[in-house]
Amino acid sequence: MHAFSILTLGIFIAGYITARWDLVTRLYELAIFAWDHGVVTRATKGFAILSVFFFLLILPAERLAAHETILHPRVEGGVIMLGGHKLMRVFWPLDIIRTASTGVIVGWRNSDLDIVVVTVLEDVEARSVENALRIGTLFRGSPHPVGRIYQLCGKVSMQVLGTLNPSNPPPTTLFNSSHIFAFTNASSQPPRIHCPQDSAISVQIILFEKPHPTRMQFMSLNPMSLALDDKPGHAVNGSTALDSVDLEAEKERQRKSRLVEKIGLHTVVRHPPSEKELALPAILTQINCSFEMGALLRKNIGLVGVRPRRHLSVSERVVESATTMWDNAILGLTNSITIWLLPILIKVFIVFLVFHRAMAELILRVLEWRLRPEFAALKDISATAQQVDIRLQQFCYWPIQYLTLRSRKDDWESITDSHPDYIRFYNSLWLVANDVIIGIALGSYIIENAEWVAYQIDSILSSWTIEGLQRMISWLMFWPAGLKLNTELAAFLGDLFLWVIDYWAGCVANLRPLLPQVIYFIGFSSFAGASVPIALFSDLLSLLTLHIYSFYIASARIYNWQLTIIISLFHLFRGKKRNVLRNRIDSCDYDLDQLLLGTILFTLLFFLLPTVAVFYLTFASARMIIISLKAALDTLLACLNHFPLFALMLRVKDSKRLPGGIRFELYDTQTASTSLRQESNMPRTSYIRLKSVPLSLRAMFQQYFQLGHRLRKHYLAPHVSFCLVTGRFVPPIHRRNLYSLQYSMLPATRASIAEVWKRLTERPAKATRVRVSQGNINSRRGYKESAIF
Amino acid sequence: MLNVPVRLSIRRPSPTTVSYTVSNAPSRTSFSAQATFYVTIILRVLLAISALAVAVAKFTQVSGAQKVPGAQILFESTSLGTFSDGIATRFSWKIVFPAVAAIIYAVVQKGYTEESLLVIRGLGIQTSTSSSTYLSTAATRFIPTNEIRDIFIHEAFKGFEVRFYLAVVVRGEEDVVVVFPNLLPKRRMLEDLGSRHASQSAGISNVP
Repeated sequence: MHAFSILTLGIFIAGYITARWDLVTRLYELAIFAWDHGVVTRATKGFAILSVFFFLLILPAERLAAHETILHPRVEGGVIMLGGHKLMRVFWPLDIIRTASTGVIVGWRNSDLDIVVVTVLEDVEARSVENALRIGTLFRGSPHPVGRIYQLCGKVSMQVLGTLNPSNPPPTTLFNSSHIFAFTNASSQPPRIHCPQDSAISVQIILFEKPHPTRMQFMSLNPMSLALDDKPGHAVNGSTALDSVDLEAEKERQRKSRLVEKIGLHTVVRHPPSEKELALPAILTQINCSFEMGALLRKNIGLVGVRPRRHLSVSERVVESATTMWDNAILGLTNSITIWLLPILIKVFIVFLVFHRAMAELILRVLEWRLRPEFAALKDISATAQQVDIRLQQFCYWPIQYLTLRSRKDDWESITDSHPDYIRFYNSLWLVANDVIIGIALGSYIIENAEWVAYQIDSILSSWTIEGLQRMISWLMFWPAGLKLNTELAAFLGDLFLWVIDYWAGCVANLRPLLPQVIYFIGFSSFAGASVPIALFSDLLSLLTLHIYSFYIASARIYNWQLTIIISLFHLFRGKKRNVLRNRIDSCDYDLDQLLLGTILFTLLFFLLPTVAVFYLTFASARMIIISLKAALDTLLACLNHFPLFALMLRVKDSKRLPGGIRFELYDTQTASTSLRQESNMPRTSYIRLKSVPLSLRAMFQQYFQLGHRLRKHYLAPHVSFCLVTGRFVPPIHRRNLYSLQYSMLPATRASIAEVWKRLTERPAKATRVRVSQGNINSRRGYKESAIF
Repeated sequence: MLNVPVRLSIRRPSPTTVSYTVSNAPSRTSFSAQATFYVTIILRVLLAISALAVAVAKFTQVSGAQKVPGAQILFESTSLGTFSDGIATRFSWKIVFPAVAAIIYAVVQKGYTEESLLVIRGLGIQTSTSSSTYLSTAATRFIPTNEIRDIFIHEAFKGFEVRFYLAVVVRGEEDVVVVFPNLLPKRRMLEDLGSRHASQSAGISNVP
């Protein structure tokens, strides 16, 4: 009892005795009377008889019962209960396992036996800390409202959880879950929770490392997504985008979900989720917040209790004044700049941004304009237009993204919602910078050697697409490889194609003097990034091989027609015909002249087929080569536009910033706690280490895998080879599907000009407010350092 | 695939946390087995070092680059250096580099698989599969308890045999998560594991 209350009680009793002296004398007389008449001895005798009875009967019965309970544990519904064991779960940060000093454990209490330790406050009393937490003294000077953290952490508040290394030993029998006693020592032994053997509690200590919020580390149950998921039903919105591959995937998904439903019917025992199981997401948030909250509590600890404080030595004072003087000078300089120069610069910059945004809007409108809704827009046809479209959309999105990232500063650093945004923003910035750097190198090379590059391109193009093709056709015209084709038909087809090639060669010869200028233009365009010349080259390739495309289409039509005619004449030859109404082959009685003419035509066409097939094969293979060349260029573009470079660098530098889930590691308790088990009555404690799993490389390149899968499904399908063999047109994969990869980091709809203007102009007010409320240079400098990466 | 006997080991520091590990690694309990294990480790390291030395020697010979002074002394004075120099001069780079790559690949191979299931009451279960090399870490998957819909033992065809497997149905996922996916221990072992564990979670049911 407190000394003061003892004194008060003493004074009260003394006063009462003096006031009621007659009552005291009466009591004294009563005591004398009782002693004289043997009351005391009779009471003692009764007590002794009761004790003997207790020792002889009750105690043995109790021992027997206890022994029997140990021998035969209670069985309930076929499931052996763990002797009524309850589970105490303690999340313990790794940075407070090596202290030997006494302190108060502060943290979150999610339920009675489920706690998360945030920090240990030293040299204070538990009660005063509890008071301070309730009043809010410990949260004084917090940069942002504490309520926000509480709201995120499952609406529980911080509490005093217990005592670390208590100075007087805790009661040996009683376990109090609302105030635990933990022990740590200077060696690297894990912490030990005082928990008596007979309290029927088993302890799980989950050790975790606090994620550093300033370094933007965090833990997450699910892998973080690098793509922007704001495209609801991307595959559903247009029926054109939904091709057979998507349909097939959708069907497969439905089949699987039906199977999963069926598995659900087999479930025998359903157990409702316990409070502890549901608390896991909230606990991860608490762990994410623990660093910042712990720092705040430790900063305010001086407000709570007496704390030994050492005065600064002279040298330290000199150092301190020197540093603050330097800081003051910097502060003065920055103040003058921020007050006079910065507002003007910001205004100019905003006007420039909005002007830029308006220009971008104009160009984007042109690129997206369709004559009719089902027609292709310019960006669907040309790689260059698409490249420009992607860049402009990125430029439009950056201010919005940057403002979102800036608003991060108005909140706790532990809040992890915008971290994927941060990675996306800097990834796209970095990719554009890389693109420009590579582009400058490429562009300067092309400009310096424009003549040579133009000459090379011209010679390659003419030797392959004109002279090579001419040689090939002339070879086909005169019995290629000893194959006796129909001379007349081969000569006719060959002459036809040769005339067109001659005409095309004339056109290209007219364009030849322009080629160095075109190359110059490509070279200059590459200062806007290496992706532009690649896209331009891809477009140039499709333009200069236009004749091959038209040859392919023409020969494919002829081949297909001939094949169809042969098939229907073959039915005639067999005495059958195709019934279109029932979609089947019926028997048919032909007249003799019909049969005769049909058979003659069939024979004729059949013998002419190899000649046409040879020409078709030539142009189809040329077309396929060009398509694969363009696919290679497109892959290069995809790499330049979308490669997760920043994420990869982060993975190497600090993998905790890219969480891909969590992982638990069971500590080998044979080594960890045998010594502890001997020295105290440690019941059953398991030590588990909670770690963050870095995002796997597969998850980073998820979209590339998706793209590869889609391409494989589309082009390596039996359907495509069937089309090729029969000369039908191979349906190209829709460009929107193919390039959904490149747009995956951009929002589906861009913000309008008015919205950009509104958000940009409201920014300065917010920024100044932040500056006033923060006022702490050091913390902001820390942020800047972290912002470099 | 060779049918190596699979062992199950259980670690259970407290009644609420159990780790079941299935492994086809040879048992290392006896002294001689342990000694062999450490000797092979040392041999592997030596083999890797000599392979790398040969690669470095060949690279300097091919590229004609000047060796770093320290490395020069190392290559000339030690027997390993002269040995690797000798090998590098005898064979062409077309043989040396693929051979070195193959040796390094063989050296880092573990040669066994270890798969484990960690059950933590109140948190969830975690499956993990050790990687095939010494260089990378195990692939783990943690499933919180409230995402588990069911756990069952079922049978499936694999090649020409029927294997039993323990699988977890995860809420909101199409595919079940197979525990011990590579080793696929025998049915007796799985049932044993299930009945042992029945004291803790009532979630395992045997679907015929």
